[in-house]
Amino acid sequence: MDRRKFLQQVALWSAGIIVMPPVFRITPDLFAGIISSPKLVVAEGKNYTTLVVKALEPFGGIAAFVKQGDKVVVKPNIGWDRNPAQAANTHPLIVSSLCSLALDAGASEVKVFDRTCNEERRSYNNSGILSALEKIKDKRLNCTYIDRRKFVPIQIDNGRSLKEWEFYKDALEADCYINVPIAKHHSLAGLTLGLKNIMGVIGGMRGIIHQDMGQNLADLNTVITPNLTVIDATRILLRNGPSGGRLKDVKVMDTVIVTADPVAADAYATTLFDMKPDAIDSTKAAYKMGMGEMDPAKMDIIRL
Amino acid sequence: MKLRFPWRLIRRISQLLFLAVFLFLFRNTDYSGSDEIPYAVNLFFRWDPLVAASVMLAARQFITILFPALIIVVLTLVFGRVFCGWICPLGTLLDIAGKFIKRHENVNIRLPYIKYVLLVIILVSSFFHLQLIGFFDPFSLLVRGMVFTIDPVFKFLSDSIFNLIYLHAPDWITSVSEPGYDFFKSFILPYKQSYFRLALISFVILLIIFLLEKIDRRFWCKNICPLGALLALFARYSTFRRKPVRICSKCTECETMCRMNAFDEKGFMVTEECNLCMDCLNDCPQKIVRFSFIRPRNRSPINFSRRAFIQSGLFGAAFPALSSVSIFNKVPQPNTLRPPGALPEKEFLSMCVRCGECMKVCIQNALQPQFMENGYEGMFAPSLLPRVGYCEFNCTLCGQVCPTGAIRKLSLREKHRFVIGKAIIDKNRCLPYAQNTPCIVCEEHCPTYDKAIKITYTIKNNSQGKPVELRLPYVVNNLCIGCGICEKKCPVQGHSAIRVISDRYIPDENMTGAGYG
Repeated sequence: MDRRKFLQQVALWSAGIIVMPPVFRITPDLFAGIISSPKLVVAEGKNYTTLVVKALEPFGGIAAFVKQGDKVVVKPNIGWDRNPAQAANTHPLIVSSLCSLALDAGASEVKVFDRTCNEERRSYNNSGILSALEKIKDKRLNCTYIDRRKFVPIQIDNGRSLKEWEFYKDALEADCYINVPIAKHHSLAGLTLGLKNIMGVIGGMRGIIHQDMGQNLADLNTVITPNLTVIDATRILLRNGPSGGRLKDVKVMDTVIVTADPVAADAYATTLFDMKPDAIDSTKAAYKMGMGEMDPAKMDIIRL
Repeated sequence: MKLRFPWRLIRRISQLLFLAVFLFLFRNTDYSGSDEIPYAVNLFFRWDPLVAASVMLAARQFITILFPALIIVVLTLVFGRVFCGWICPLGTLLDIAGKFIKRHENVNIRLPYIKYVLLVIILVSSFFHLQLIGFFDPFSLLVRGMVFTIDPVFKFLSDSIFNLIYLHAPDWITSVSEPGYDFFKSFILPYKQSYFRLALISFVILLIIFLLEKIDRRFWCKNICPLGALLALFARYSTFRRKPVRICSKCTECETMCRMNAFDEKGFMVTEECNLCMDCLNDCPQKIVRFSFIRPRNRSPINFSRRAFIQSGLFGAAFPALSSVSIFNKVPQPNTLRPPGALPEKEFLSMCVRCGECMKVCIQNALQPQFMENGYEGMFAPSLLPRVGYCEFNCTLCGQVCPTGAIRKLSLREKHRFVIGKAIIDKNRCLPYAQNTPCIVCEEHCPTYDKAIKITYTIKNNSQGKPVELRLPYVVNNLCIGCGICEKKCPVQGHSAIRVISDRYIPDENMTGAGYG
């Protein structure tokens, strides 16, 4: 190989890589038609580990969502440097319970991550999630900090307000995406629930999302639609959200809401705050786009 | 032939060991998963007698966390400048670099008195509350150079290489390189890429120290290092000394090989210059050199005349006098935000030794060295730049690593209340005010339990002329602690629409400040 040939090869090789960015064509099955009355489980219990198991039973357990060999993403809210009692992050036991179930169901890997607001190491530690997951000694389970390199620009084909945004590669590649938000107050969004939790898997300047938050969140959720939403309402933050901090703003509910319908999850969770589902812009916007049901009367609600 | 005990080898092992300790502590000057740092990562500053002397003079009180310096003083009183030869990581690095730097044969510059001049200037001026140690203390210079330049560049280059592989190489290469990268990240690289002001200047200073090796071995240690000067004063009383005290009449081998030029014109040992490197012991052709405890007796006077001493003392007093009339005493600098726990401005600047530890440990890369914002007197002192990074609400690391107490160690409770500055909203930039666009990212992030940023509601027309409900943020001044997360997270490009301004009060001695009508 002479020099000319070598340079040609190098040029071609690198050109090929640069010209062809990874393409993720995730066509949400949303428009295939809405499930007429989505099943939604509201379960109560003091033992949060078994609470999750109990709440999944009406669906036939986690196996209804996680298949043998699936790449699973469990996406909690780890946004803040707050401890579990302060109700700013998803409860560690809810997260670890879901991860154990997914592993038992034969997931090939389970990834847990969130793009935090406070410093990520402090948030992962103080939230208790990192240590809860370290107790599960399984090599398939990875609780890692966000790797900036893994944000890839995605066309939002069905977006009404957003047309393109960066998404986290691991979230896009998941066979089963389990959304595990905490239900809490948010001064702009009203509440932050499942649809808002997608903020943790997007790149870019997230502050801009706030400028038309309801529609933007709905648009982002068309790219990654959770297969399963588990809303942690074991304790909810009533005021001063999303970061909170004061224990008197926290109400203990010992409740989880489990459903495959991301809109129904948020709509029902809103009622825990004595609010109507249509008080939350993102729920309304997602409903209008046909992403799910927002009328609790039209849901198949199972209370445990 | 009798085998001589390999003292030089022991010395080298000691040097490498302390260098390893130094690097280990440097790497562990970081958040470790718990709120407390488990190691005394600031050890090298706390046992530095020059730091202890100048800070205690400036504070005019005994500071208990600096007592480890006594260990080094006692060590020097017994063994001489063994610290310089066996412990000092800068000395070790100079020894290593010296092996690769080709020396100029014909240059012979010997200025051993300079170090005493600097020592006296530093100590006298610190007594008058001007802290100049940051410009000359070997650890301040070394650690700053490493924090601001070497470590970030090391991280940048490593990441660049691995990222290049990650983004462009085929999968089978990535499958090998990524685990390697993970290992590298866990054990060798700093956790985060950091960015610093004054990176170049800090590096150049360090570079000059190393380039001085071209003139002579340990040029810095022999001629400039004020810590070396201080230890030299103690070393004059040391009892562990070399015999014979004079070079032999025929063989001058030890004088030629001595890296510290520790022999005077008559060939007598100058004990305070000897750093006990043990070269002359191990390389003596006659094998007569010994080190043992003897009655301390100095044949030659110290390399520092009484006249020079008085002159340096006068200089040392003159600098603080000049500084006392600089403008910075009168006008508070609005963008100077000291770390949480920092003492009042004047005490802070006189006790801060510019070691860079707080800036190293700051998990948001928020603490940055100042240039001339507060005159040369404040150069390299830390200041929070919220647009670069904010102060993490639950983090107290900077106070934990400060070796002098210039930044107090705060409890979490104290930290939650410590006021760094106050946030001010710029309504001409703030989106809900200036563009009728919803936002309040600042309020969302405000970490105080009773949020210092609160909201009023209003209805205004948006860009399409449609009425929208807007939430307008406002700052509750007495709740704001000035952590700067609002300024950092504000989505307005360029200058943030909310900015933290210092509310530090500088006493106005002439009573000509804010007037009453």
